[in-house]
Amino acid sequence: MEQIGNMIGWETVKMVVGLVGVLVFVVLNALILTWAERKVAGHMQRRIGPKEVGPYGLIQPIADALKLLGKEILTPREVDKPLYYLAPMIIFVPVLVSFVVIPFDASLQVMDINVGILVILAFSSLSVFSILMAGWGSNNKYALIGAIRSIAQNIAYEIPLLLALLPIIMMTNSFSLKSIVEAQHGLWFVVYQPFAFLIYFIAGVAETNRTPFDLPEAESELVAGYHTEYSGMRFALFFLAEYTNIFIVSAIAVTFFLGGYQGPFLPGIIWFLLKSYLLVFVIMWLRWTYPRVRFDQLLNISWKALIPLSFINLLITGGLLKL
Amino acid sequence: MTASPSAFIKGAGSLIAGLGVTIKAFFQPVVTSQYPRQLLNISPRFRSHTKLVADRDNPEKNGCIACGICVRNCPSGSIKKVEGEKREGEKRKTATSYLLDFTTCSQCGICVETCPSAALDFSADFNLAGFKREDFHFDLVKEFEKRKKTS
Amino acid sequence: MVERIKAELGATLKETPVGEADYRERGYHLFAEVASADLLNVARFFDERGFYLAALICVDYKEYLELVYIFSNHASLCKVKITLKIDPAKPVAPTISTVFDCAYWHEREIREFFGVSFDGHPNMTYLFLHEGIDFYPLRKEKIPVSDEDKKALGAFRPGEGEDTFFVNLGPQHPSTHGVLRVVLKMDGEYIEDAQPVLGYLHRMHEKMAENRSYLQFLPNTGRMDYLGPMAFNLGYVTAVERLCGIPVPDRANYVRVILTELNRLSSHLMWLGAYLADLGALTPFLFVFDDREEINDILEPVTGSRLTYCYFRFGGLYNDVDDAFVAGTRAFIERLRSRFSLYEKLVGGNVIFTNRTRGIGVITKERARKQAVSGPVLRGAGIPMDIRKSEPCAAYGEMDFDVPVGTRGDALDMYQVRIREMENALNIIEQALARLPEGPIMTEKAPRKLKPPKGDLYHTVETPRGELGIYIVSDESDKPYRMKWRVPSFSNLMIFPELAKGNLLADAVAILGSLDLVIPEIDR
Repeated sequence: MEQIGNMIGWETVKMVVGLVGVLVFVVLNALILTWAERKVAGHMQRRIGPKEVGPYGLIQPIADALKLLGKEILTPREVDKPLYYLAPMIIFVPVLVSFVVIPFDASLQVMDINVGILVILAFSSLSVFSILMAGWGSNNKYALIGAIRSIAQNIAYEIPLLLALLPIIMMTNSFSLKSIVEAQHGLWFVVYQPFAFLIYFIAGVAETNRTPFDLPEAESELVAGYHTEYSGMRFALFFLAEYTNIFIVSAIAVTFFLGGYQGPFLPGIIWFLLKSYLLVFVIMWLRWTYPRVRFDQLLNISWKALIPLSFINLLITGGLLKL
Repeated sequence: MTASPSAFIKGAGSLIAGLGVTIKAFFQPVVTSQYPRQLLNISPRFRSHTKLVADRDNPEKNGCIACGICVRNCPSGSIKKVEGEKREGEKRKTATSYLLDFTTCSQCGICVETCPSAALDFSADFNLAGFKREDFHFDLVKEFEKRKKTS
Repeated sequence: MVERIKAELGATLKETPVGEADYRERGYHLFAEVASADLLNVARFFDERGFYLAALICVDYKEYLELVYIFSNHASLCKVKITLKIDPAKPVAPTISTVFDCAYWHEREIREFFGVSFDGHPNMTYLFLHEGIDFYPLRKEKIPVSDEDKKALGAFRPGEGEDTFFVNLGPQHPSTHGVLRVVLKMDGEYIEDAQPVLGYLHRMHEKMAENRSYLQFLPNTGRMDYLGPMAFNLGYVTAVERLCGIPVPDRANYVRVILTELNRLSSHLMWLGAYLADLGALTPFLFVFDDREEINDILEPVTGSRLTYCYFRFGGLYNDVDDAFVAGTRAFIERLRSRFSLYEKLVGGNVIFTNRTRGIGVITKERARKQAVSGPVLRGAGIPMDIRKSEPCAAYGEMDFDVPVGTRGDALDMYQVRIREMENALNIIEQALARLPEGPIMTEKAPRKLKPPKGDLYHTVETPRGELGIYIVSDESDKPYRMKWRVPSFSNLMIFPELAKGNLLADAVAILGSLDLVIPEIDR
């Protein structure tokens, strides 16, 4: 064992184990979130939600997953095959990479890279690629419009997202997520940076294409947006990626603003998951409350409100730090 | 988005108010009833397919006199055939078969209203299901006899 | 008003006489038969005086075809019937779509159902029967459609131009609530042109009416507008009662008002939910269903049904309401009043909602008149016209309510008008309940077999979506000779293309939703 470890390096072993763990977590997380979303939606609408399969309908997502797995994989005739096939696979890459650097607990992190946040931001921009591939490859107008919307939206909201995180990076002088969490030992950064937190959160909701910013898949306008032509397991991959993205956005918010895994009494991992899922709940809460914004309004919110505000916030932070 | 600060605050307030509504609903009890585990009461006037009711004087036989008025009046032609026979010692005919095609019936109630012997009424059979169209071709006389036996 | 129009119209028409009709019997005040050369002049005459084209009807009298134009006025009650006789062998008439835009659609409808060709009409293609049909369905004799005509009618092709593409909004699309199809010509996210394609739910109710007795047609009426069947039933029974002169007892009239208003509430609530679902918020949809179910729970024990009620009868009602109904309705009024603040918080005040709806789909008063929109859409555009006020049927004349109007004419106004209409409906129900008289619910004078006297009638009622006009021609038989349904959604939809032009796709959905369309009613 030790020999093998020495041969290929402990880092690699840790990496492989971590990735498997991440994969398991991604699937589990998506299962829990689909169930939770339907329960949250149900109770907000004063109904029950899933209840037939398993206690409180807990097995429902597994039944749904099995159904999607068992479906025939349909390929529409006129699609651009390479793009169409690749898109659902590629959408998973940034998702997996992001998990590698997120510190679930003081010792539970696949890799503590000293440019951790840059890795996440760089890779999350990649998800646009797969959406564009899906939209273009589907050879469907709804899908294409959805993809185009998605690109404009992602570009517009990546900037405030980054700008909202920058003050924290300035305060801690580190890109490493772990050291950022450690820096919040006393007070959480949300106390120092409430505006940055708000801006990050709004931009994060937009990045994950959730209501009120769910334009790329706006049901009443574009049927299902970029994944209109996908069914069965391919659709499930998009679905999985969406829910994982929600978790990542929440996890980063927790890491940067809400003290990460730190908290009294309970172990760090519990605190981390608790805080993350609380934010996930808020994202769901938003979805089941608000209508969708219009496309031009969406861009206006980013370019005319969030970006200037985050710049001001950044300047003030910089000024205060200098003092 | 080039709104004044006051409009901005008002907008943010409205968003929070909306969140308040849904979170309140989240903790309120559900209002749905869990069909089919839980059935609601069907009101007595509920209109499902028609049924034959017993004759006023003789509860043993159905009240239909096979006059055919309902057949003529049905807007959708759902009442296919009504046949009757005159039994001994009776002045009027009694129906021996009353064929209703429920697939085309729109439960308008014209047959019930125009029936001269008040022999028709609505049943409360609301959850009918079947695999074939023929499952909904009822013979109301047969159904009447069956009901008589079970009661 | 009627006198003045009569004099002026007489002066314009010169030789042709202008007749005065008994409004109570016929539903219009004046009538005149014009020659086809005069028709455009007459149309312009009414256009200048602020009239709108309420309905355009064709009737086949075998010896001749008759085009019936009903002109009506928003400001004061004055209805004029203009008829034009055309040769059935070579049916041609001049178009008035150049004067009244709504005629564009009515003429297309007549073209495919009667084969009447309109000179100067820009687009004589199928509106309903896109699969084509071998004969003209509403003609009394079977007249085959020539191949040439079929080609001309089937000429509709959604075309992609340079830098544009088309997107189908429907027939299977989440935001069209049924099977409406709108072909949008898009330039990126902007709409260059919109073309409604109807007929996916076309059932030819008007032809069915000709083959059924008056009573037998009654269930059909509720099937046109499945969300507001009470108002359609009310329109039909009051029209036939008016035609035959059947009196209705007071109690029945009051109950009719209560039930129609309850149904209006349920229809508006449904609209509210569906509209918000269009805009991306799904929770209000379930909230309104909560309220709507309450209404259905009140209506079901009375009418025996939860959707297509079919409760009114010629001369009265199907059966009486009881104390439980009165108590239940009172409780519901209290409940819904307390719910408005919730809707205001969740929807009306929401900044995302107001930003989505303010300033889009603006209908000016002039365009509203030209396109003959009606109902909440017309009132949203700022014209205080409500047929419950101007031509009250049942007990509406005794009710005290105001007519809410919008100021901007945009989608947000449509929302506010409908919300205020719901509040009004509650007031009306409360008044009617308080004054609900005792007595019979069915007149004793109702004839067993209905054979209305010879003549025609244009009868209107206010449905949740607007003006429902029923034109009945009776030939003294027990079946109507011709029955035309001027349905509100049809006219309201027709203003959609001009509202959508130049807007974003998302706005098109918001505008379409604000018109509150019910597809089976458009298609009939």
